[in-house]
Amino acid sequence: MFSLEAVWQWFTDVENWNGRYGLWNLLGEHLLITLWSLLLAAVIALPLGIIVGHFGKGQAIVVGLGSTSRAIPTMGLLFALVMLLGVNFREVAVTLALAVIAAPPILAGAYSGISAIERTTKLAAVAQGMTSWQLVWHAELPLAASSIIGGFRVAFIQVVSTVVLAPLVGLGGLGFGIIQGLALRDFAQVTASAIVIVLLTLVGNQLIGLAQKQTRVGLDKPIRGN
Amino acid sequence: MEWFLRNSNFIFGLATTHLSVSLLPVALGSLIALALAKFVPRKLVTPTNGLLGAIYAVPSLALFVALPALLGTSYLGPTNVLIALTIYVVASIFFSARDALAQVPNSANLISKAQGLSGWQHFIYVELPLATPGLIAGLRIAVASTVSMASIGAVVGVRNLGYLFLDGFQRKNSDEIITGLVAIFVIAIVLDLMVWFLGRLLTPWAKKQVRSV
Amino acid sequence: MFKSRIVLAAAAMIATLGLAGCTATAESKPIVIGSQAYYSNEIVAEAYALVLEDAGYTVDRQYSLGQRDVYVPALEAGEVDLFPEYTGNLLQFFDSTATVTATEEVYAALTNVLPDGLTALEMSPATDQDSYNVTADFAAKNNLVSIADLASVTGLKLGGAPELAERPYGPKGLKSFYSVDVEFVSTGDTTVDSLVAKQVDLANVYSADPRIQQLGLVTLADPKGLFLASNLVPIASKAVDQKARDLVNAVSKAMTAADLVAMNVKSVTEQLTSSEIAGAWLVEKGLLK
Repeated sequence: MFSLEAVWQWFTDVENWNGRYGLWNLLGEHLLITLWSLLLAAVIALPLGIIVGHFGKGQAIVVGLGSTSRAIPTMGLLFALVMLLGVNFREVAVTLALAVIAAPPILAGAYSGISAIERTTKLAAVAQGMTSWQLVWHAELPLAASSIIGGFRVAFIQVVSTVVLAPLVGLGGLGFGIIQGLALRDFAQVTASAIVIVLLTLVGNQLIGLAQKQTRVGLDKPIRGN
Repeated sequence: MEWFLRNSNFIFGLATTHLSVSLLPVALGSLIALALAKFVPRKLVTPTNGLLGAIYAVPSLALFVALPALLGTSYLGPTNVLIALTIYVVASIFFSARDALAQVPNSANLISKAQGLSGWQHFIYVELPLATPGLIAGLRIAVASTVSMASIGAVVGVRNLGYLFLDGFQRKNSDEIITGLVAIFVIAIVLDLMVWFLGRLLTPWAKKQVRSV
Repeated sequence: MFKSRIVLAAAAMIATLGLAGCTATAESKPIVIGSQAYYSNEIVAEAYALVLEDAGYTVDRQYSLGQRDVYVPALEAGEVDLFPEYTGNLLQFFDSTATVTATEEVYAALTNVLPDGLTALEMSPATDQDSYNVTADFAAKNNLVSIADLASVTGLKLGGAPELAERPYGPKGLKSFYSVDVEFVSTGDTTVDSLVAKQVDLANVYSADPRIQQLGLVTLADPKGLFLASNLVPIASKAVDQKARDLVNAVSKAMTAADLVAMNVKSVTEQLTSSEIAGAWLVEKGLLK
């Protein structure tokens, strides 16, 4: 059933790249839904994480949310929201469901990034005359950036893999190839679609990882230039 | 609520299947991951990381269907889902297990050597206990992810709680979907607490507070 | 001191494996009955199961087995003994080039193409096949009675599961049989809702779907036989003896298309279990006490 040659042939068939349900369009849809849900999740989770990290109150809830979020069954959430909002709002429903899945890692990243900042650093910033707002914007956020981006990384992987189920509720995305391929017994299509999804995940993961590295601040390392 | 009460037997059966389909991979997978984390030579760590990371990125649905084709396993029964979930557990715990083992202080290794402990004795009596907090943390994450991922197995015929989502959506039964969500969530939380408790049992020194004399 | 900790951890592992193993133990039972991941199909399977159990057979229910790729190999391998199927769709699965569409011809072709070891028992008058439907308003507005009438409508959107795009009765078939042009929109499990919400104009809905009646959908006639007739038919392996086959055939013959739709309606509106619905129908038909 599994034949590398068949998979290669599937990839090289132009038909599979064009059209409403061709790979290009599906890839674009997949990315778009992912980005929208990450954005929605960030709008809520980032400020929340920063606030909790900055003021040091409410950690218990954040930590609790972090571990329990992985327990949410993604398929169930998708179906539940689409049923709740109706087919006219299915994109909204799916984006919402995905945002619920993406929020906890982003929240955790923001919270742990900010709360890990040494108290002395914050005191030094205040001693320099920074107001609370400046403290957050100019000191805490840059220092926590790496951790925040790390949170997005985890969220990205989880969302990309959940979008695979979107065709079950009538949306597009790269999962289409898997679901259609399964029904048509076209295992080349299933494998090829799976490969594209894996590549997307890995590439995204690497890129975000690079950004994470770039923003990492070694607080225990000597300050450059001295 | 009424639907839940009327079908409680059926739901219980689904939950039992769900538990077995989730727990077996966690138990097996964590053992394999621990062995790998301990015994994979340093040079192979990055490629192993990479391979496991790639497998982890494969969408569960695709893996569930690919395994019968690749391994020749039976289409029927939860075998494919079990194997796939075990692989996911290995992938997820390998990273945290390595971290946990790596943060065992080198002084402990030196002390074991000084005391003449063999490699095995050192592993079981010194390394593992010290790495336990990190291992437990990784285990908790793996348990939660596996319990929720197992529900996707319903798409390929595993009769677990995920079935409630498919059937509920087809028949427009919101009670059914909500029951599924709640049941899986509750199971995950309960298991999470049990693992946490196990961690506490295994590390009694963590509880003791240093009293000032 | 450490030893007890190891023992504790080991015990926890064993307990977990044991718990997992216990709950996973399958008792070996004589007749394994399977069903699709489709509540209607499950009701029929349950009807077979109840009748066989009533006659003293032990039945192992393996419902919701998913796609044909998953359960047909299982049937062939003898892991499943009895399965309610649909003549036309199953024929297409084994022979995608089949061109027959009339009821009796489809049944004959199916019996020819079934692998050794599997037999198609008596066909039921009940059908559950793909059909093209439109909303009542749309039908009235465009004077639609048969699929052929669609040829004059432009900008048609067809909704259905992802695989419909490639099926012989999908857009390609519509074009070649009826000269109807459609744009395909994948709607997954939301097909009927999408039709009602006017996101698509034409939808592929199973003929036994209760929502056709409930929502007043109009099923378009298919004079050129685009769709294969698809009657309910029990597929049995060699493990099913003649007495069991007779019992199952009785169920098959007693089920009319209206019965099937009625049972589906019950499932969706009253949310009863397949066991309750099948049981009630069997009692009504005198097949069960």
